[in-house]
Amino acid sequence: MRWGALILALAALAALGLTMGEVRLGLPDLWQGLWGGDGPGALTVRILRAPRMLVALGAGACLGLAGTVFQTLMRNPLASPDLMGFTAGAALAVLAALAAGLTLPPPLLSAAGGLAAAVAVAALAHRRGEGLAPLRLVLVGLGLGFTCAAASAFLLQRLPGPEATEAQRWITGSLAARGWGHVAQVWLPGLALAALLAVQVRALTLLELGDDLASGLGLRAGRARLRLAATGVGLMAAAVAVAGPVAFVALMAGPLGSALTGARGAGARLAAAALAGALITLAADLAARNALPGVTLPLGLLTGLLGAPYLLWRLSREMERGEL
Amino acid sequence: MSAAPEELRAEGLSLGYPGRMVIRDLDLTLPPGRVTAILGPNGCGKSTLLRACARLIAPLAGRVTLGGADLRRIDSRALARRLGILPQQPLAPEGITVADLVARGRAPWRGLLAGWSARDAEAVDRALAAVAMAGLRDRPVAELSGGQRQRVWIALALAQETDMVLLDEPTTWLDLPHQIEVLRLLQRLNRERGTTVISVLHDLNLAARHSDHLVLLGPEGLVAEGPPAAVLTEPALQRAFGLAARVLPDPVSATPMVVPL
Amino acid sequence: MRAALALLAAAVLLALLVGPRPVGPGTAWAALTAPDLTDPAHVVLLTQRLPRLAAGLIAGAALGLAGVILRGLTRNPLAEPGILGVNAGAALAVVAGAMATGRGDGGLVVAMAFPGALAAMVAVFLIGGGLRGGAGPMRLALAGAVLNALLMSLVTGIVLLRAESLEVLRFWNTGSLSQAAGRPLGAMAAVVAAAVLGALAVAPALDNLALGEAMARGLGTRTARAKGVALALVAALAGAAVAVAGPIAFLGLMVPELARRLAGGGMRAQMGAALCLGPAILLAADVAGRVVLPPGEVKAGVMTALIGGPVFIWLARRIRPGALA
Repeated sequence: MRWGALILALAALAALGLTMGEVRLGLPDLWQGLWGGDGPGALTVRILRAPRMLVALGAGACLGLAGTVFQTLMRNPLASPDLMGFTAGAALAVLAALAAGLTLPPPLLSAAGGLAAAVAVAALAHRRGEGLAPLRLVLVGLGLGFTCAAASAFLLQRLPGPEATEAQRWITGSLAARGWGHVAQVWLPGLALAALLAVQVRALTLLELGDDLASGLGLRAGRARLRLAATGVGLMAAAVAVAGPVAFVALMAGPLGSALTGARGAGARLAAAALAGALITLAADLAARNALPGVTLPLGLLTGLLGAPYLLWRLSREMERGEL
Repeated sequence: MSAAPEELRAEGLSLGYPGRMVIRDLDLTLPPGRVTAILGPNGCGKSTLLRACARLIAPLAGRVTLGGADLRRIDSRALARRLGILPQQPLAPEGITVADLVARGRAPWRGLLAGWSARDAEAVDRALAAVAMAGLRDRPVAELSGGQRQRVWIALALAQETDMVLLDEPTTWLDLPHQIEVLRLLQRLNRERGTTVISVLHDLNLAARHSDHLVLLGPEGLVAEGPPAAVLTEPALQRAFGLAARVLPDPVSATPMVVPL
Repeated sequence: MRAALALLAAAVLLALLVGPRPVGPGTAWAALTAPDLTDPAHVVLLTQRLPRLAAGLIAGAALGLAGVILRGLTRNPLAEPGILGVNAGAALAVVAGAMATGRGDGGLVVAMAFPGALAAMVAVFLIGGGLRGGAGPMRLALAGAVLNALLMSLVTGIVLLRAESLEVLRFWNTGSLSQAAGRPLGAMAAVVAAAVLGALAVAPALDNLALGEAMARGLGTRTARAKGVALALVAALAGAAVAVAGPIAFLGLMVPELARRLAGGGMRAQMGAALCLGPAILLAADVAGRVVLPPGEVKAGVMTALIGGPVFIWLARRIRPGALA
C-alpha cells in the first residue's frame, strides 16, 4: 500500500518533470510527444526532457542501491559511497582521463576510479588487530573525498575553456544536456548490476547477522562482502558517469525508502532505496530546473541542500542514542 | 537428523596469531551425542578453540576433523548443514521480528533461487516451539528481555537443523534463572533430539550440573577432560586457574561443586 | 622556532620573486626602497606581489593560530576552521550580505565575515556535541564537514543567482590570494594582531584545559570563560582570514601538527610557531599555484587542499576506535 504511494509519487514527479520547464507543456502535448507526434512540444519532450528524466531515474536508483549496500555491509547509516569518498574518486578518474585526452567510456573510468578509491579507503582505514572500524572508514573516506575533490579542482584548471565549464557543472552533479546515449549508459549497466545484486540479497541478509554467524550458516563471509562491495561500487560508478558525483542521494535513499515503505528485509529495503533514490534525484532535478526562472542550478547543489540538513539531523540523533 | 552422530576432533591443533600462540599442539575429541562444556580462565583460548572447531578461524598448525574429514575440505554450505555455531555477540538487524530472525537459520538448506518451502516453515515452527517462543514470533527482537533474546538465537541455531551446535558463552550477560533456563534447554535438546551440544561456559558449578563432559583448559593448555567428577578436582583447579578450592558434592545434583578457599 | 622563522623568510622571498614574471632580488630591493613607477617590474612587485604577500601573511597567521587554539581546546586533531565550516560561515555571510545590499566593498565584508564565522562555529559545536567534553573527534569532524558542505552549497546557490559573477563565485568557494589588492588588508591586519595578543593571554588557561576540565578547575582556571574567549578568538581569526583570502581549508590542520612537533606541547610556543608556519605554508602554496600550470594559476586554496587532504587521512587514521565511540 505504501509502496503504491511511493510509485505513484515517482510517476507524478516524472509527469511533472516532462511538462514543466522553459516551455510549459500540457498533458495532451506530452502524450503526443511521447508517442511520436511532431511539433516543438513533442521535440522538447523526446529530445530534451524524456532522456533527462530517464537518466535521473536510473542514476538515482543506482545511487540508492549502492548506498544501501554499503550501509548494510558496514552496519552504519553514515557509510555511504558519497561520504566515504568513492564518488569523488570516480569523478576524479573521469576528469583525469579528460585532461589527459583519453577517450574511454565514462562508466568504465568512473568504475575504475570508484574501485581505486574504495580499495584505498579500506586499506588506509584498516588497522592490524582492529580491522575496519566503520567510523574510521567514514573519516578516512571523508579525507580521501577532500583530496580527490582538490585534485579535480586542480585538473579543471588544465582544461580548455568550454570543456572546463562543462566539467565544472558535471563535478557538482548535473543532468544538463543528457541524451538517449546517456540513458543507455546508465540503464544498461544499472540493470545488469541490479540483477547481480538481486542474486546476492540472501548473502546480504546473512551478513546482517555478523560475519561469524553468517559463516556458521554456510556463507563465505569475506568473499561475499567483496562481491557485494564490488557490485555497490559498480552501481555507484554507473550513476556518477552520467550525472557526476551527486551529493548525498546514496546516503538518504536507503533510510527514506525504508521509512516510506516500512521495508524490513534486505531485498525490500534495496528495492525501496532504488525507488527513493530515483524520487530524490527526480525531485531535485525538477527543483534545479524550475526554482529560479532563467537559471538552471546544478543538480548536486539541490541534493546537497536537501542532504546536508538530513545528515546533520541524523548525526544529532545518533549522538542522542549514544551510538556515535 | 542422521542416525550416526559424528565426532569432532582436534589433532595437533595450534591456534593464535603468528608470534602469539593461544593454543599449542592440542589433541582432543569432543564426544558425539553429549553435552560438552569448555572451561578455563580468561585468555586461555576457550573461544578460540570453539571458533576453530566451527572453522571461523584457520589453525596455525594441525587440523580439526568432523567425522574424520578435515574441516577445511568440507564445503561451506555442507558444513553449515552439519554444524551450527552461535557466536558470542551475534548482531540482530534493526527492527527484525523473532520469526524472521529464526528463519535466517534456514540459509544453508535453501537453494540459490529456491523459495521458502513448507519444510523451512516447519523447521522454524519446531525451533520456536522448542525454546517456547512460538507465542512471541511476531515481536521485534529488540523488545525482548535478555533471556528471551538468547532463546531466539538458540532457536536460530535449531532451525539450522544440524546434528551439532557450538555456542560461545551462551549464558554470559544473563541473570542466574535465565542461565539455568538456557542450560536446561540445551540439555533437553540433547536428550530429545540427540543433538551434540558444545559450549564455552564460565560458571564451573553450573557447567558441572548441566554437562556430560567437561574440557578444562589452563594457561599451559589442556588440563583435564572427561566426566565432571573426574575433571573438577582440587589439583586440576589449581593448575587451570591457580585457584585454591575445595570440591564438595552438590547437595542437590551430587555433581562436583567448587568452593573457593 | 628558528626553523619556523627560516621557513617563513624563505616563503616571503619566494612570494616576492617567483611568478609568471620573475623578479631578481636586486630589482625587488630597489622597488621596495626606491620605487620607480615607470619600471613594469617595480609596478608588478608593488601592486601585485606586495598585497599578495600581505594577504598571505594575514590569512596564514590567522588560520594557523586558529587551528592551534581549536586543537588545544577540543583535543581533536581534525578540528580546523575550514573543516568545521567556520570559514564557510564567514563566506556565506559575506555573499548573502552582498546579495541583500547590493554592495561588495570592504566595509560590508568586515561587517559580515565575523558574525558569519561566529554563527557557524556556534552551530557546529551545538551539533557536534558541544564543549562539554566526551564529544568524540568523529562527531565534531563529521558535523563540521556536513555543515561546511551545506554552507558552501548555499554560497554557490546565491552566487549563481547573479549570472555575471563566475569569478566572484570562485573566490568565495575556494580561497585564493589573487584578489589581495582589493581586500581590506589594513583592517584585517589589525584584527589579527589584536587576536594574537588575546591568544597569548588565554594560552595558560588552554594549557590547563589540556589536562582535562576538572584538573583545569583545580588549577584555578575559569574554564567556561577561557573556552568562550578562545572560541571568540577563533571566529575573529577565521573571519579575518576569509575577508582577505576567501575560505582556505586545511591550513589549520597542518600547522598545529607541525607546530607541536617543532615547539613541543606548550601553548604559547605552539602559537609562536604557528604564526610563522601558517604564512609560510600559505605563501608557498600560493607560489606553487602560480608556477605549476603556466600560463594559468591554481588557487592557493586548491593547493592547500591537495596537501591537506592526505594530512587529514593521516590524522584520522591515528584516532583510536575508543575515541570514536
